[in-house]
Amino acid sequence: MDSIPPKVQNQLAMLQQMQQQLQTIVSQKAQYEMTVREAKRAVEDLGDVAEDANVYMSVGTVMMQQSKEKVLASLNEKIENLELRIKSLEKQEKTLQGRFEQLSAQVKGALEGQQPPGAS
Amino acid sequence: MVNNVDQVDPREAQMLQMYLNEYGQQMEILSQQLNLIEQQRLESLGAVETLQALEQSDDGEVLLPIGGGAVVRVKVLDPGHVMVNIGADVVVERTSSDAVEYLQDRITELDALGKKVAGSIEQVRGQVNEISRRLEAVYRQRGQPPRPAQGGQ
Repeated sequence: MDSIPPKVQNQLAMLQQMQQQLQTIVSQKAQYEMTVREAKRAVEDLGDVAEDANVYMSVGTVMMQQSKEKVLASLNEKIENLELRIKSLEKQEKTLQGRFEQLSAQVKGALEGQQPPGAS
Repeated sequence: MVNNVDQVDPREAQMLQMYLNEYGQQMEILSQQLNLIEQQRLESLGAVETLQALEQSDDGEVLLPIGGGAVVRVKVLDPGHVMVNIGADVVVERTSSDAVEYLQDRITELDALGKKVAGSIEQVRGQVNEISRRLEAVYRQRGQPPRPAQGGQ
């Protein structure tokens, strides 16, 4: 590590930081995707239920009876919101991935001595 | 990946160790998933059994565990209907027979999912074994004991 120029060491630290950020984004995206899948499944299951069936939704620590229509609207809104967040995370992931690849190419070049450190 | 252990250099041994650790962690995550699936499957089976027994019961009287080994005698007011959690914080009232059907479908899905995860575990186990074998040969050659994989196997 001592033989690595300080500028490259900084770049390596940045790469590590980017990798952690990428991991956070990917895991958050996976969590949202799972919640969307679950909500879509609930919407699907509600389709088989009679219009006048008793449907309850979690409100704080209790379950409150709601109309099927209201529950469906709430679930669809939840799905819509989460899908927007997933899209935003995908965008962030793509941008970060691009910056990561660019920086790692620079570091690789610098370490192999084919390119002066820090050149972009 | 290394094909001939006689030609393995220290950097490759380090890489093999890294792969071994990663696969070990993957196996642990998959095993946890499998346990969770099995737990859900058993819970659903228990629910089906309970609902079927309640339907056959004359008075709907059961002993309800309240924790600490204590149970209270309760009467199920409406054994013909049951609340089923369908996910996303939504609970739906169904007839017992509908609920049994729903739970049986869920059990079938969990069975399939469990088989898929078990297959993945076997696949990763095969890779872990292969890497361990190569790594052992490398360390034997270098006269050092191999380090175990992180995350358990």
